[in-house]
Amino acid sequence: MMNTPQQVKNPSSSLKSRFITRFLGALTKITAEDPISSSSPTRIFQRYRRIKVASNKSMAYSVRSRRIWSRAMLSRFRSRRSAFSGRRSSVKTTNCTTSPPPALIKVTINEKKTAKGGLDMQTDELRELVPGGEAMDVCNLLDETAHYIKCLTTQVQVMRKIVDFYHLSK
Amino acid sequence: MEKDQVFMGEELNRAAAAQAGWNSCSSGMEMETDELNCVGSCFLNRKWHNSMDQSDPFESALSSMVCSPAASNAGSTNFPASGDNTMMTDLIGKLGNICNTGDISPQSFIKPPNNNNNCSSNTSCYTSSLDSPPKLNLSMMGGNQILKHPSLVPVSADPGFAERAARYSCFNGLNAQLGVTEAEFVQLTRVSTNQSIMVTGSQVHVPDSNKNTLQNGNSCSHKRNSRLSRCSSPENGDSKDESSISEQIPGVGSSIKAQNDANARKRKSMPRGKAKETPSPAAADAKIAEENDESTAKRSKQQNDSAKAENKENPKPPEPPKDYIHVRARRGQATDSHSLAERVRREKISERMKFLQDLVPGCNKVTGKALMLDEIINYVQSLQRQVEFLSMKLATVNPRMNANTEALLSKDMFRSRGSLPHSHYPMDSSVLAFGLRYQPQQGLPMNNVISNDTQIQFSMNPANAALHKTQGLQLPPVDGITDANPQIGSFWDDDLQSIVQMGFGQNPPQSCQSKHS
Repeated sequence: MMNTPQQVKNPSSSLKSRFITRFLGALTKITAEDPISSSSPTRIFQRYRRIKVASNKSMAYSVRSRRIWSRAMLSRFRSRRSAFSGRRSSVKTTNCTTSPPPALIKVTINEKKTAKGGLDMQTDELRELVPGGEAMDVCNLLDETAHYIKCLTTQVQVMRKIVDFYHLSK
Repeated sequence: MEKDQVFMGEELNRAAAAQAGWNSCSSGMEMETDELNCVGSCFLNRKWHNSMDQSDPFESALSSMVCSPAASNAGSTNFPASGDNTMMTDLIGKLGNICNTGDISPQSFIKPPNNNNNCSSNTSCYTSSLDSPPKLNLSMMGGNQILKHPSLVPVSADPGFAERAARYSCFNGLNAQLGVTEAEFVQLTRVSTNQSIMVTGSQVHVPDSNKNTLQNGNSCSHKRNSRLSRCSSPENGDSKDESSISEQIPGVGSSIKAQNDANARKRKSMPRGKAKETPSPAAADAKIAEENDESTAKRSKQQNDSAKAENKENPKPPEPPKDYIHVRARRGQATDSHSLAERVRREKISERMKFLQDLVPGCNKVTGKALMLDEIINYVQSLQRQVEFLSMKLATVNPRMNANTEALLSKDMFRSRGSLPHSHYPMDSSVLAFGLRYQPQQGLPMNNVISNDTQIQFSMNPANAALHKTQGLQLPPVDGITDANPQIGSFWDDDLQSIVQMGFGQNPPQSCQSKHS
């Protein structure tokens, strides 16, 4: 039912290692395809989006279909890909996290807090944040949230390391 | 269950007038397992109202009931809708309705796994005790039977029911022994009966016509439950019921209370250990008692451990002596099965909230679901924003990656989980850039290339979309890998090798392993 908060330390099966492998590969591919020299904001933004999607995709693929949120995320990626097949730019631009803009979420939280009591508003917010959360009941939603948090922390960890690596390498 | 039993008792009382029906019912009961319900009800009815002309209706009913459990255990039999006694049928139907309407699944019943065995053994003790008025010994024997199987096992309707039905006599006897008033006893027995009937009812096809009566019975049971302060629906209410029952029935031992509570809670098969309470042997004669005790113990333990029933995020468990009082606070809750299911659901959610509390930093001070959820939402949002921020950073940083850097980066990340790589390796931008030129699949070849300073061909995965790297993690031509084996060894520790194997897992791993073992 609940995942242990500790990641599997065995590197060969660790979620973290899987994510690292995938994400590094994606990163290298993105940077290879995109001329690094160009520093136009557009290109940077495009690259940013690609990297973000790569990060989420890498994590989703590392989790495979073991989780509802990962399945939802993967299906979202695939649907976007199929919908915009041949138009990679569109795919890249449309690929984004499921979370609404943070500012909007904050406002929504405040509004909902004042609107009515109960946990429904928070639950709805959580559903918006966690991929595939709309179709889950609260029980599963909390499960998925826990695993999603774990994966997000892994993502952040790895990406921060990479960034530091890059900085140190400069 | 309690309410069911109460209901049943009431029904039985009402059926007292139809003694003939009960008589016929009793005779018919011997034939089928499901009739045990009837037997139980008939038995109760007869016992209380002396409606039966039989010299020892209790004995006869019990014997018939006892006989049937063995038969019933073999398999489930349909409820004799065409029962000899319409009243019995109605009663059973009502009980079945109670089962059906309530969220009472066999799993909610906690019964020892060896019901069948117990049944037979209980049968013997029942029969022996039948000769004498119901006594504590009977319940003792039955209780011992039950106590032998303290493990909480989801009730399988038929075998468990038979045993429970068989234990009613013990239960009744026990109640009598303990000086429980008839009314209370009726209620208690009804609870037990209801429990078993409910269990059976789940497997028994209950005629629709009976459902109405069952609902009526439910109302009666509710009434009685409220009187007894027995809340069958909520888990926590069980303990409350327990306390309330104990209050109302001073003569009843804690076991009885536990029993009643267990009856009330039989729907809830809490996985928690029931170690806490072991009812007195007298009280444990009935399986229901045992179940009740177990569930009560569980509930109590749960109350002690989690105290979640009432205080969602209250970490303080109530004191053991306060369990009943604590439970009683919840007694005001509805007792219908929906409430029971709701309570189970709430328990689950509380568990998960606790788990999330551990995950999310800074949540320990927060109490209450709403605040916890807010914290969780904030944390998830912050994590997502961090991912976006870091990806933006990666996009802006000149990712001149080469194989060395890639290897070092991977190595560092695998070695120092959770720590940032600050001074582990000589930062070499050229290495980074070098690594970036390669296909993502070639995680390992990149190292090889580094050592060999050769460029491995991009093995572009034709289907590889921009970001479909995972699929692209194919093992490229392994030629490069072979060359770099010695150097690779220096770079890679076991972690990396395993990771590489994993990274190339999509391809036959043997090639990878052979190279890098």
